[in-house]
Amino acid sequence: MSASQSAVRSRAEAVKVSRTFDWLILFTLFFVVLGGYHVHFMLTGGDWDFWTDWKDRRLWVTVLPIVGITFPAAVQAVLWWRYRLPFGAVVAVLGLLLGEWINRYLNFWGWTYFPVNFVFPSNFMPGAIVLDVILMLTGSMTTTAVVGGLAYGLLFYPGNWPVIAPLHVPVEYNGMMMTLADLQGYHYVRTGTPEYIRMVEKGTLRTFGKDVAPVSAFFSGFVSIIIYFLWHFFGKWFGSTAFVEAA
Amino acid sequence: MKILKDKVAKLSFVALLITITAAMFYAPTASAHGEKSQAAFMRMRTIHWFDLNWSKEEVVVNDTMTISGKFFVFGGWPETVDKPDISFLNIGIPGPVFIRAGSWIGGQLVPRSVQLELGETYEFKVLLKARRPGDWHVHTMMNVKGGGPIIGPGKWVTVTGSMSSFTNPITTLTGQTIDLETYNLGNTYFWHAAWYGIGLLWLAYWCRKPLFVPRLIAVEAGKGDALITGTDKKVALGFGVGVIAIVAMSMASTNESFPITTPLQAGLLRGIKSIDMPVPTVAVKIEDATYRVPGRAMQMTMTITNNGDSAIRLGEFNTAGVRFMDAAVAQDETGYPDDLLAEEGLTVSDNSPIAPGQSRTIQVTASDAAWEVYRLADLIYDPDSRFAGLLFFYDQSGNRQMVTIDAPLIPSFI
Ligand SMILES: [Cu+2]
Repeated sequence: MSASQSAVRSRAEAVKVSRTFDWLILFTLFFVVLGGYHVHFMLTGGDWDFWTDWKDRRLWVTVLPIVGITFPAAVQAVLWWRYRLPFGAVVAVLGLLLGEWINRYLNFWGWTYFPVNFVFPSNFMPGAIVLDVILMLTGSMTTTAVVGGLAYGLLFYPGNWPVIAPLHVPVEYNGMMMTLADLQGYHYVRTGTPEYIRMVEKGTLRTFGKDVAPVSAFFSGFVSIIIYFLWHFFGKWFGSTAFVEAA
Repeated sequence: MKILKDKVAKLSFVALLITITAAMFYAPTASAHGEKSQAAFMRMRTIHWFDLNWSKEEVVVNDTMTISGKFFVFGGWPETVDKPDISFLNIGIPGPVFIRAGSWIGGQLVPRSVQLELGETYEFKVLLKARRPGDWHVHTMMNVKGGGPIIGPGKWVTVTGSMSSFTNPITTLTGQTIDLETYNLGNTYFWHAAWYGIGLLWLAYWCRKPLFVPRLIAVEAGKGDALITGTDKKVALGFGVGVIAIVAMSMASTNESFPITTPLQAGLLRGIKSIDMPVPTVAVKIEDATYRVPGRAMQMTMTITNNGDSAIRLGEFNTAGVRFMDAAVAQDETGYPDDLLAEEGLTVSDNSPIAPGQSRTIQVTASDAAWEVYRLADLIYDPDSRFAGLLFFYDQSGNRQMVTIDAPLIPSFI
C-alpha cells in the first residue's frame, strides 16, 4: 500500500481518498453480489420463491435456506478475513432482496400483471443478521457455520410467517377446501407453470404429523451448515483484494 | 490512483449491467400464443377439442364468461409424448388477463392435476372473470406432464372497462370476506420494509467507520482484532437478540391473529368422469390419404359402412381444432373462430344418405387455407407421417355420431 505516500499530500487528503474508495468499493460489491446472488437464486430457488402457492411447510422451508446461505457465506469470508467487516451476509441479502423486488415489481406485476401479494420474495434478513453477529462475536468460521448455519435454517420459516400466515387461511371453493395461496395459484393463470410441476407437501416426513415445519427447518439448518462451509471456502479462495492493492 | 478509479468505475459499470440483466432477465411466461408452432402431430393426435363454445366475445371487467365443450383423448396417442396420466386443464391466455374462477372436467372442479384415460371423451368448462382490458386470444389448453402444453383452438375476446375496478372477493372458512387482489399487501410491504430497514441499520453502523483500505492495512499488520471494539460487540449482541425477539414476537402475534391456518393443498385427482359415448354404428376404413401440397387439400378415400338403423351423411371432419364442414349437412351455429372454420371445406364425391346396412366408398377432400395458416401441412415432414381426426355423421333427424380416424398420409407435390 503506497497510496498514502505517493498519490496524496496530506493525511486529511488520504482520509478523504480512502473514504471515496470505501463508497466506490461498497457500491461495486453491492451490485456485483446482487447480480450474482440473484441469478443463482432464480436458478436454484426459482418457483419456490416466485409464487405463494409454492411456499409450503416442507420443501420451501428446506430448499430456500440451503440455496440462500451460499452468497452470504462467501461474502462473509471475503469481508471478515481481509477487512474484519461483519456485514457480508447482510449486504448479500440486501442485494438479493433489492434485485428480487425490482424483478417482481417490474416484471411480474408491471409487465405480466400478477398481483404483488402472490409473487413477493421470501425474507432472509433475520438469518443474515444472526450470521453476521455470530461471526463477529466469535471470529470463528466453524462456530458461524454450525450455530449460524443452523440458525439460518431455523429462522427462515418464523421470519416469513407473519407474511405467509394470512395466505394459509382456508377457504371453501366450489366444494373443495384450499388455502388462499392455493386459490391465488388457481385464479391468476400461469400458462407456463401447470399445477403438476408444483412441488409442495411432498417428502418423507409424514410421521411428524402437523409439526412438519420445524422438522423441515432443522433439516434445512443441518444442510445449511455444510453449504456454509463450502461457500465460505469459495469466498476465501476466490475473494481478492485486487482493487485495493492495485493502488 | 487514476488507474484505480478507472478500474472501479469500469467494474461498477459491469456490475450495473449484470444487475440490470439479472433483474430484467426473468418474466413468467405470459403468452400461450404458440399454437401454430406446435408440431402438427401434437395437435392432431393428442387431445381433440370439439363442441367448443365461448359464451361471449366481449366482457366487461368483473364480468364472467365460460369456455365449454368436450375433448377426446386420442386413442392412438403418439409414443413420443408421455401419456396424460398427470394432466392439468389450463387456459391459454396472456397472463392473468382473466382470473380462472372455476374449471371443471366431467362436473368435477379441477384446480389440481387429473388423470385422463386414452380413448375417452370428457366434458369440460372453464369459468373466466375479466380482469384486464384488451383483445385477448383465449385458447383451450391442456398441460400434460412429460408432453408439455397442448394448445387448442383460440378465439378473440375483448375485455372492456378498467383494471383498477377489478375486485376478487373471497369468503374464508373463518368468516371474513377479503379481496384477494390486494389482500395481505400492506402486511407484506410492512414486514419486508421493516426487515430491510433493520438490515440497512446494521450496514450503516459499520459504514460510519473507515471501511476497506485502512482495515486491510490493519489486518495485514496483524492488528485485525483491535478493529472490533467493545461497543461493536454490544451493538452486535443487541442486533442478535433483537432479531430473535422480533421474530419470536411477530410469530406469536401472527398466530394470535390467524389461529386457523392449513397447509397448501396438492395431489392428483383421479377417477374423473368421462362421457359415456354410444358405440358408433358407423364404421370407417381409410383406403388411402394424400395431401396435395399445391392445392392445400387433403384427399381421403374411405369406405363407410352404416350398421345403424337410420340413413347417415358425413357432415364434418375435425382435426387440430380446424373444422371442415359440408354446409349441406351441418353448419356451425356457435360462432366458432373464423380462421378455424371451413364452412364449405369438405367435399364428398357422393354425399347422399347411406342407408342402413349399406356400404360405400367415397372420396373426401378437406381443403382450406387453414392447412397452411395453421401449419398442419407440416405433418408431411414428421418422422411418423400420420394424420388423425374426428368424423361427424348426421342422420335425418340431426343425431350425430363421432368416429375417430387415424391413418398414414402420403404427400403429393404435383
Ligand atoms: Cu392465440
